[in-house]
Amino acid sequence: MPNIVACFKWVIDEAYIRKSASGALDFSAVDYKISDYDRNAIEEAARLKGLHGGSVTVLTAGAPETAKGVKDALSRGADQAFFANDASFNQLESSQTAAILGEIIRSRIPYDLIICGEGSSDQYAQQVGPRLAENLGIPCISYVQKLTIGEDGRIMVERRVEEGVEVVEAPLPVLVTVSPEINTPRIPGVKDTLMASKKPVVTIKKEEMQAVGAARLQTIGMTATRMERNCEIFAATPEGIARFVEALQKKGVIS
Amino acid sequence: MPGIWIFAERKDLALELLTIARGLASQAGMKVTAIVPDQGDQADIYIAGGADEILLLSALGEDMSLDAWIPVIAAEAKKADPDLILLAATARGKDFAARLAARLETGLCSNCIALNREEDGTIVMERLAYGGAAVQQVSCLTRPVMATIPPRTFAPAPADHGRSGEIRKLPPPPSSPVRVIARKTKERSSQDITEAKAVICVGRGMAKQADINIARQLADLIEGEVGCTRPISEELHWLPDDLCIGLSGVQVKPDLYIGLGVSGQIQHVTGIRGARVICAVNKDENAPIFQAADLGIVGDLYDVTPNLVEELQKATSR
Repeated sequence: MPNIVACFKWVIDEAYIRKSASGALDFSAVDYKISDYDRNAIEEAARLKGLHGGSVTVLTAGAPETAKGVKDALSRGADQAFFANDASFNQLESSQTAAILGEIIRSRIPYDLIICGEGSSDQYAQQVGPRLAENLGIPCISYVQKLTIGEDGRIMVERRVEEGVEVVEAPLPVLVTVSPEINTPRIPGVKDTLMASKKPVVTIKKEEMQAVGAARLQTIGMTATRMERNCEIFAATPEGIARFVEALQKKGVIS
Repeated sequence: MPGIWIFAERKDLALELLTIARGLASQAGMKVTAIVPDQGDQADIYIAGGADEILLLSALGEDMSLDAWIPVIAAEAKKADPDLILLAATARGKDFAARLAARLETGLCSNCIALNREEDGTIVMERLAYGGAAVQQVSCLTRPVMATIPPRTFAPAPADHGRSGEIRKLPPPPSSPVRVIARKTKERSSQDITEAKAVICVGRGMAKQADINIARQLADLIEGEVGCTRPISEELHWLPDDLCIGLSGVQVKPDLYIGLGVSGQIQHVTGIRGARVICAVNKDENAPIFQAADLGIVGDLYDVTPNLVEELQKATSR
């Protein structure tokens, strides 16, 4: 029965990011969420547990407010959570996140299969999964859209590549990163949320870990994307639509 | 001698990376090394494209995955200590790059869309963040600097047949526990929306699959192609995923884009940013698509589209 670890990131919901009059990014009204594809990762872990038994551990590194995300993750079918918690952990770069997750998994969580989302909704650097696999010295298969665990202790997956699909197999333990096609994440109900509060959470402070190395990539600037289009609105009446078509002709996009 | 390395699994991708490498190398007087699969006499193409040195990878066994090469290239990089390594941001390339960066204990800029060398030699790289809402500028504090570049971001390097270069073969890869047991080439949609002059995009406002015909009718009229937003291909499977437009799908750059019932989530808008004229039909006047559009009609697509088809027929027959 496999021990499965699903990693997730608690991120700013990009739909709430506004652009101020000066063109700067405005984070004042943002809400947070479990990164979209990490929800697929947790769902896949829960699905596999339903088929094979075993255990599902969710793991994250984040600032104290990530506690809300830990509870959310536990309401999605996980048995327990490990949470590396420090105020500085909301600014981690991929190599640092992979190092923290790697240290916790190595020292505290028995595992056969590690599942990550293909990339996070905020940075979408798509590095933590592959880097984590390298840190642990296990095979990595990325962009997985179908996953089967065989009885021989091997997994068989379909991974999405540009030309189509590669069917790949590898012995456990292995790390996979999953694409959104793999499943449809559940929407936790009230009962799931209540049960989540009773599940064990191991919180690990920065001081309990080896020193987190310096970031290797430095963010110099973060500016709002310019999208300078002034939308002219037309009424949905026959006259409005006729004027709309005229405007298309004036712009030279229809002949 | 330090320099710039490029690695790509395909010729077109390698030539795009050589465009960047050659530009930087001429500024900084650096050597360009191309690491490419050994496919007969193609090395000359890369030399003409700007490489000073070619490192050839012997053909992989049928059941071997591209990542089998990671230990070989990591060992070479540790020996040669290049300044910069560029890879193509394909699925395999991104996975490869992240794992190579882990082995070389360095930083990696994923999906880098612009790359410039400052006077002090710092390489400043740009990428999109927050689903495309922001442009992030990064620099790398460790050696080598690494970046993955999305396909078709740069033009392929032009051939200069007067150039010369060295060719060397790399040792074969060690055996890998990962086995490829089948490769299925997907059936491509007959249309290629990345090259289309007009794109009609179907969004969540479309109530049922059969209604895509409404979009198709409009597309036929203006000689365009039909694309869709992520929920249409990924959740509903109404259209194949190579028609999905957005940050994680395809990026389109038609003269005319018309979104029918498209709400305009940032990830989707990022995929249409290169369109010349963006139009939207949506019944919700607050839909974010209207902020990204040039022309908009606030109304039900089921009422508006037939009228629009009629008006377009009148206009184009005049």
